[in-house]
Amino acid sequence: MNVIEIKDLTYTYPGASGPTLDHMDLAVEKGDFLAIIGNNGCGKSTLCKIMNGLIPHFITGDMEGSVLVDGKDTKTMSVGEIAGKVGYVYQDFENQIVRPTVLDDASYACMNYAMPDYLERGRKALRQCGLEGREQEYIWQLSGGQTHLLALAGAVSLEPDVLILDEPIAQLDPRHADLIYGVLKNLNEKWGKTIIVIEHHTEYIADYCRHVALLKDGHTEWVLPSAEALRRVDELQACNIFPPQVTIAAHQMKKEGMLADGMTLPTTLEEGKKAFGHLFFRRETLNLETKKENAAANKKTAADGNLAAAVTPAAKFQNVSVSYRAVKGEAKKIFRNLNLEIRKGEKIALIGSNGAGKSTLMKLMTGLIRPAEGEVWLKDRSIRDTKPEELSRTISLVYQNPEEMFIKDSIESDIAFAMQARHAKDWQERTEALLCRFRLSELKDRDGRLLSGGQMRRASLAIGIALNPEILLLDEPTANLDIATRKEIMRTLNEMKDITDTVIIATHDMQLVCEWAERIIVLCEGRVVADGSRNEIFGNREVTERTGIRPPEIFDMGKILNPGAFCYTIQEFRQQFGCGCV
Amino acid sequence: MEMVKKQTATQSQKLMIFVLTMALYGMATLFTELIPKFQVGIVEFSVEYFLFIPLVLGMLFDPLSAALGAATGELVFSEIMLGQFGGLGELEKFVTVTIGVYLAGRIVRDPRNRKLVGFAAIFGTGVQQFLGMLVDIFKVQFAVEGFEAVPGLPESVFATEGFAFLNDLLFSGILFCMLPAIYLAPKLYGKIEPLLGMQPRSEKTALGGINAKVVLVCLGAFAVAAAAELLATSGLPLIEWEASWAESGAAIAAGIVVAAIVAVAVLLMMKKKAEA
Amino acid sequence: MESLEVNFQIYHYWRSKCAMKGEKMMQKLSDNILDKLSMDFLRNQVLKNAYGNDDTFIAKLDPRILLVWYLFFALVPWFVDQVPFLLGAFLLVAATTVMARVAGLVLALFVVGVFSQTGYLFLVSLLFGGNGETIFPLLILTLKVATVSLASVTVFSGLDPDRLSNGLMWFGCPERLSFSISYAYRILPMLMEEFQNVLLSYRLRGNAPDGSTLSGKIRYLIYQIKVIVHAFYPLMLNTAKRSRTTVEALELKGYRNAATSPAVKKLKLSSLKIGYDDMLFVAVSFLWMALTIFAAFLFR
Repeated sequence: MNVIEIKDLTYTYPGASGPTLDHMDLAVEKGDFLAIIGNNGCGKSTLCKIMNGLIPHFITGDMEGSVLVDGKDTKTMSVGEIAGKVGYVYQDFENQIVRPTVLDDASYACMNYAMPDYLERGRKALRQCGLEGREQEYIWQLSGGQTHLLALAGAVSLEPDVLILDEPIAQLDPRHADLIYGVLKNLNEKWGKTIIVIEHHTEYIADYCRHVALLKDGHTEWVLPSAEALRRVDELQACNIFPPQVTIAAHQMKKEGMLADGMTLPTTLEEGKKAFGHLFFRRETLNLETKKENAAANKKTAADGNLAAAVTPAAKFQNVSVSYRAVKGEAKKIFRNLNLEIRKGEKIALIGSNGAGKSTLMKLMTGLIRPAEGEVWLKDRSIRDTKPEELSRTISLVYQNPEEMFIKDSIESDIAFAMQARHAKDWQERTEALLCRFRLSELKDRDGRLLSGGQMRRASLAIGIALNPEILLLDEPTANLDIATRKEIMRTLNEMKDITDTVIIATHDMQLVCEWAERIIVLCEGRVVADGSRNEIFGNREVTERTGIRPPEIFDMGKILNPGAFCYTIQEFRQQFGCGCV
Repeated sequence: MEMVKKQTATQSQKLMIFVLTMALYGMATLFTELIPKFQVGIVEFSVEYFLFIPLVLGMLFDPLSAALGAATGELVFSEIMLGQFGGLGELEKFVTVTIGVYLAGRIVRDPRNRKLVGFAAIFGTGVQQFLGMLVDIFKVQFAVEGFEAVPGLPESVFATEGFAFLNDLLFSGILFCMLPAIYLAPKLYGKIEPLLGMQPRSEKTALGGINAKVVLVCLGAFAVAAAAELLATSGLPLIEWEASWAESGAAIAAGIVVAAIVAVAVLLMMKKKAEA
Repeated sequence: MESLEVNFQIYHYWRSKCAMKGEKMMQKLSDNILDKLSMDFLRNQVLKNAYGNDDTFIAKLDPRILLVWYLFFALVPWFVDQVPFLLGAFLLVAATTVMARVAGLVLALFVVGVFSQTGYLFLVSLLFGGNGETIFPLLILTLKVATVSLASVTVFSGLDPDRLSNGLMWFGCPERLSFSISYAYRILPMLMEEFQNVLLSYRLRGNAPDGSTLSGKIRYLIYQIKVIVHAFYPLMLNTAKRSRTTVEALELKGYRNAATSPAVKKLKLSSLKIGYDDMLFVAVSFLWMALTIFAAFLFR
């Protein structure tokens, strides 16, 4: 039985020139776990708002065709009635939470619909979403993942048959992402809910979803079982969607004749084990790689040794302790006796789970947070008594949320702002050069906020390096982006390598870490628990298990096939496991 | 299709404007509560006003929602949150802010017209300040018996109030209301509306200027507020509190004390029983 | 005629509501307006005030009782001149303020407010040739102002916002207001963080004038004010984005349904219950005030 049926739907936003959804058909079976994929602007979010009745009840516009929820047309239902059948979790879910405490928010909808047992329903929803025991907590005491679960609980409390989530794990570390999908799986299997997610992370689709719907130009291209869908590698890549790395690797190797022609492509590690099981691990390629890496490292240490006396580090943390004021009770310690040295010219990735202290570390360097004890040195001066304004020529921080970087009404003036304020002589030329370098020249008069995700990031990077800082700090430069845009930003970051000096990136994005960083620092509960090259970090099981960091899928695949393998990219995987050609 | 929709937003759009104005202006007033005023000579500068926030939003969107949002925001954030709630007297501020912002919002037909925006901003501020001044003068008039009879008092009150009004209007009004509004309104125009899913205001969709009905409604609201204010401050001495107990015997006072003791004792016992 | 003078001073109090002249404080603040620490501090204090004290005796009282209690202490002191009574009332509200564990910032505001009001009045009265005799009515006025303010601090800061809004709703306040109160507490931390970050952007990328000389200080202040005004441009746009999601979510959660439905109101208010603690609170307050009246009578 179909719980949602969309027939020949065409919808145009008020004032828009063309329809966003164009003769769309979609049927969702009861109890399904469906992923909706498609490139940016293909109408995914609009589709969600159609399914939960926001369109046409609150957002006007032209709508033709029919949307049936549980056999009834949404046009004839009240929003309350639809909300009882379809729950929705926004991408910016934190704005969806309107009450100050957990139980209060979870039961808010039930209370508004005058259900006498609203508190009990709220509690049940929290139980179903794994938030039991946190009923009385305040929203700001929750972590990002828990806040997301609460938004979900708010939707679940009305006991809808269908739950729709718009990019549920975009800003989460892998551990929290697993948590969310675990909860969704439970809701699907144990409570019989139909789950619909908009998702870019195809590994999660492979692991959890049953069907995949591909949207293209406002209509449904196809709906297929997920494994089958993910195997359509070429078609997906044409839409800027990247199947799991295992699948892509197998696809490429099949093309090159390394794998049998008739084989089905693997989509999960489990399937990968069977598909790649017969391949040989070529240790010599690894040796080649490791040698290169080791040689580079040796050269570096040698250079360090020679220069250590002469060159002071770009930044240094000396016995730094930091604590935050808490709303209740004792102040919370973020760092206790942190010691760290950052050498000039290093490209460092700072990793660790949400709340490990990555942002705090960056803010310490910019002088925005003062350490309670200890000293932070930038080159040879302690920044304890320096105003952040004075430091801004030396060091620059690009926020996680680019919208907070845009303070003027066009990105051109945003990029020029800092240079103008400091009366830099050639600010006009430099602004133009930066616009050009980051491919923003045509957008220069637009307001940063109104750009697409990738454009926003590029603009914020341009703003960050406008003053040509010696140290550039980037907080989660690839968060909240779809994979295609992420790749684009990664490319930009790699291109930036030669115009920047010391760069530190705080991130959850392990592909970025593996492909970009030269040194990796792992933070856990306010301590540096590991510090070294990618082989040293990801090869150390104790560290990865303790901190919950997870290498790219292809690295795990390699390890499963042969514990001695170190492959961070699909290309390296093919080199280390492919036979013959390098 | 309808011919031309006036800028009468749907209910949920109105709620959006309300929430937006409330949050922003509320937070701003929270700060002003913490930033003291200062005087240079006889001129008082006060950052009393981030009034430009609701003024600008009122010019861009539905004026009434913005006006109510601003007044509510101030009440909630700076009065209730900081525990500075002044009782019924707050109604005066509430109503005058609402009227000022609403009128300014209705005047502007095209937010890109800087002259009009500037005029509307200063007009809205002026109305708000003027009404506030009237209330203050009324208050003294009611509070002081024989207001007219005290030589020099009416004049000095009018002079102080009048000066304060002009001072506020010229300094705070121009610096913190007019100039920011002129800067912000045209900049935000066309950018902020799509974020809320609305059409920018144009000549056709503007609500139309101020007419007799608007003025009458505003005056009515103001009268209610003024009455409440006076009731809250000076009207109540008419109920002679002092007399009621000051002249009665000590016996009565003692009786009250005994009654209170008994009540406390009984309640304590009941509570213990209930807990046991 | 004495009452006239006092009334005139009350008038000055209105006029000057909080015309503080703490120039020192101003300078300190102007140094700190853009300082992250003070913003952080503010945010922390507001949160503390709202939620840090939800386990006190006062916070657990029935909001309706407290509102009535507040009404008494907000009105009656204005009409009474007996010192023992005023002193008694002041001591009581001071005690409840301590019990409510009100945040330091709010108390500081209270102290600065009351002091500056009477300090100002004192200066004015000296100007008009006042002496020790003028101080006495001034002290009484201070006592009144302090009592009323502390009563408001106790109730509005001591009560948990949700209970407060429920209490107001019971007395017939519009639903929109009680929603606004809870929502304000929810949104404020987020909004402040965003404001803070936007200000930081200006601070780090801008170039503040040097504030060491006097003219530099003035320029610095002007610069800061300018930055704050400019900061509202990005802030308005960012908040607009947020409020759209919020309002859509509210619609889905049936907010509109609740605003008009008497059943929902009943459901909400059913959580309000008057217990022994509430009655005890009223009775003890009553006893205390009765004693002060008794004392006032004795010392007449």
